[in-house]
Amino acid sequence: MKYFKLPDLGEGLQEAEIVEWHIKPGAAVTTGQIIVSVETAKAIVDIPAPQDGVIAARFGEAGDLVHTGEPLLEFQGEQQEDSGTVVGKMQAASDHSEREQFVIGSPYRPGPSVPLATPAIRALAKRLNVDLNKITGTGNHNMITSDDVEKAARLTKDLGEAETLKGVRRSMARNMAKAHAEVVKVTINDDVDIEHWAQKEDITLRLVRAIAIACTQEPNLNAWYDSSNETLRIIDKVDLGIAVDTPDGLFVPVLRNVSQRQPLDLREGMNTLRRDVKNRTIPPSEMTGATISLSNYGTIAGRYGNPIIVPPMVAILGAGKIYNNVVATETGFASHQFLPLSLSFDHRVITGGEAARFLKAVMDNLGMAD
Amino acid sequence: MGMHENKISTVNKNHNPANATTPHVVTMIDAINMALHRAMESDPNVVVLGEDVATNGGVFRATVGLKERFGHKRVMDTPLAETLIAGISVGMAAQQLRPVAEIQFMGFIYATMEHIVSHAARLRNRTRGRLSCPMVLRAPYGGGIHAPEHHSESTEALFAHIPGIRVVIPSSPTRAYGLLLSAIEDPDPVIFLEPKRIYRMVKQEIYDDGIGLPLDTCYTLRQGEHITLISWGAMVHETLQAADLLQEQGISAEVIDVATISPLDIDTLVASVQKTRRCVIIQEAAKHCGVAAEICTSIQEQAFAELKAPIARVTGFDTPMPYLRRENIYMNSPQDIVTAALTTLEAL
Repeated sequence: MKYFKLPDLGEGLQEAEIVEWHIKPGAAVTTGQIIVSVETAKAIVDIPAPQDGVIAARFGEAGDLVHTGEPLLEFQGEQQEDSGTVVGKMQAASDHSEREQFVIGSPYRPGPSVPLATPAIRALAKRLNVDLNKITGTGNHNMITSDDVEKAARLTKDLGEAETLKGVRRSMARNMAKAHAEVVKVTINDDVDIEHWAQKEDITLRLVRAIAIACTQEPNLNAWYDSSNETLRIIDKVDLGIAVDTPDGLFVPVLRNVSQRQPLDLREGMNTLRRDVKNRTIPPSEMTGATISLSNYGTIAGRYGNPIIVPPMVAILGAGKIYNNVVATETGFASHQFLPLSLSFDHRVITGGEAARFLKAVMDNLGMAD
Repeated sequence: MGMHENKISTVNKNHNPANATTPHVVTMIDAINMALHRAMESDPNVVVLGEDVATNGGVFRATVGLKERFGHKRVMDTPLAETLIAGISVGMAAQQLRPVAEIQFMGFIYATMEHIVSHAARLRNRTRGRLSCPMVLRAPYGGGIHAPEHHSESTEALFAHIPGIRVVIPSSPTRAYGLLLSAIEDPDPVIFLEPKRIYRMVKQEIYDDGIGLPLDTCYTLRQGEHITLISWGAMVHETLQAADLLQEQGISAEVIDVATISPLDIDTLVASVQKTRRCVIIQEAAKHCGVAAEICTSIQEQAFAELKAPIARVTGFDTPMPYLRRENIYMNSPQDIVTAALTTLEAL
C-alpha cells in the first residue's frame, strides 16, 4: 500500500477532523502503531498504522476535515499495482522479465523414430529374443507383425545372428550406395603392353606416376564436382586415393601431391600408408581429400573392373591382373605381358574424349621402359 | 481523488503505436490489455462489452483505459446478465461487428451456453457460409487465487466438445497478446480462456507490434529427449517447474503448451511423442472426460506402436473445486507431475 486512506469509521460517518498527528514524515512505523487521532461526530478515534513502513508524507493538519477514502498518509516505496479483483488474491510478478523463447508447433518432422510394434509384439520379440530394430515390418504402416517376429526368430535359429555392419564396413556400404545413386559413371577398358618393363617393376608406383602424368594432360579428371551447387573445381595438386583391402574393410588412404614427388619418396609414402592402415593407426585426416583414385585389384585377381567413383571425385583408375598374350611381331609371334586397365569417370562433368585421352596418357606412360 | 485515473494513464502508455519497436515489460493481464487496445485501434468494428469492463476497467483490469480511449459506444458495461452478453455478441457478430465480450469468471459462463452452442458455433453452418460469427468470449478461469465458489473452476472441456468454436488458452504474456489478437481477427467464434492465477505472475518483454500468433497450433516451450509433458493454461508453469526437477535427475523433458485445445494440433503432439515415446498430460481440470483424455486418445491412435509406456494424466479430482482452504490439495504440484513422469519412465 502506498497511500493510506481514511477508513470507514463505522456508523455511516463519512468524515472526520484531524485532532493530532502522532508521527512525522520520515518516521518508521510498525503495524498497529497509533499514527493519528481523529474526531468524528461521535467520538475521538485513534487510527493505527495498517502496515510497517516509512512515512513519506502526511495529508492534512490538525483541524482539517478528511472524508472517508481520502488519503491520510503516503508510505515510501513504489506505487503498488492496481490488480483489481473482487475476490481472491493474485500472485504478483517479480521485476524479472525476459523474452519468451518457444517453437510454434513442432521442431520435428512427424514420423516413426522406432520400429512400429504393439506391446504384444514387443513382448513376443522379447520372449523370442528378437531385436525389432533388425526387422522390417510387413503390416499396415510398416507395423511389425507376429509373423515378422517369428520368421526372424526362425532365421536366427537356423542360420545364426545376422551381423550389423559397423565402422569401416558400414561407411563403405553407405558411401558406395550414395555414390552409385548419384554418379553417372562410365567405364572404359584397355590393355597396355608392358613388355618393356624391367624384371621387378614396382607396379603400383608405375600406376601412380602414370596417373600423375595423365592428370597434367587431362586436368579435368583431377577435380571435385559439387552436384548440389553444380560447381566443378579442377585441382592442380594430385592427391591420390589408393584403395587398400583389409579384413576390416576397404580403406582409401591418400598419397599426397604425387606429381611433385620422387619415386623413392612415393614408395616410402605408400609403405607408410599401408603399414598405418594395417595397424589401424592411420589418422582420419590421411584418408580425406583425395582428388582421384586408384584401385589395384590386379594384385589379387580380376582383369577388368567397374570401379565406383566416390564424390566429389570424378575419376578412378582400376588396374587388373597382368597377363600374357600372343602378339604378332615382324618376325613372327611373341608372348607379351599386358596390364588391363579400367577407367571410370563421371560423365556429368567429364566427356568421353577427355576420359579416353586420359587413359591413353596413362597407357603411353606405362608402355615406356622406366 | 484522481488516483484511479492516474493508474489508467500509466497503463495507457503501453498503447502508443510508436512504441511498437521497443519492448514492453508486461504481465499477462497487461498483455491482454495491450492486445485489446491494439485490436480496437486497428479495426473500428471491434467492440468490448461485459460486466464492469468500461468504467471500472474490468475486475482484473483487463479492459482498463478502453472506454476512455474508444468511448462508451465501443466499450460497454452490461447488466449482470451473461445470457444477454452472449446473445448480443452473437447478434453483433452476425452483422459484421467483432465483439470481444468478457464473462467476469468462468463460473458464470454457463448461462451463455444456449447462445454459444446453438447459435455462435453453428451460424456459419446453418447459413451455408452466408453469415459467420467472429466473436470472442473472454473469461478468466482456473483456481489458485483463494476465491470463493464459482470462481475457480476449469471447465474448458465443455467448450472443446462443441464443433464450430475454437477454444484458446494462453499461458504467458507473449501468447496472451499474440493469441488474443488472432482470436479477434478470426472469422469464427473463439472462447478465450485466461488462466487468472498467472495474470500477474510473470513479466515478459513484448513488442506491441500488432502481430498475432497462430491459432490451432501447439507451442513447444522446451525440447527434450526422454518424455513429453503436455499442458495448457496455468498448469504450464508447474509443468515447466517439473521439467526443471526432472532435469536435476538427468531426465530431459519436452514441454508443449497446447494453447488451442480445440481444434487440437495433434501433429505436433504426435511428432514429439514419436521422439520421446513417453508422455504425461497435465490438466488442472477434473479428470473425467477432460481435454487430457482426448489428447491421450488422439496420440495413441497415431503413435500407439511407438509408446514405451501408457500415457499418464495428472489432473484435478472429480469433485467440485474446493474452497480456498483445500485448494492446494486439489491443484497439481510440480512434484505430482514428476511422480507421474518417473512412473512412466519406469514402465518397460
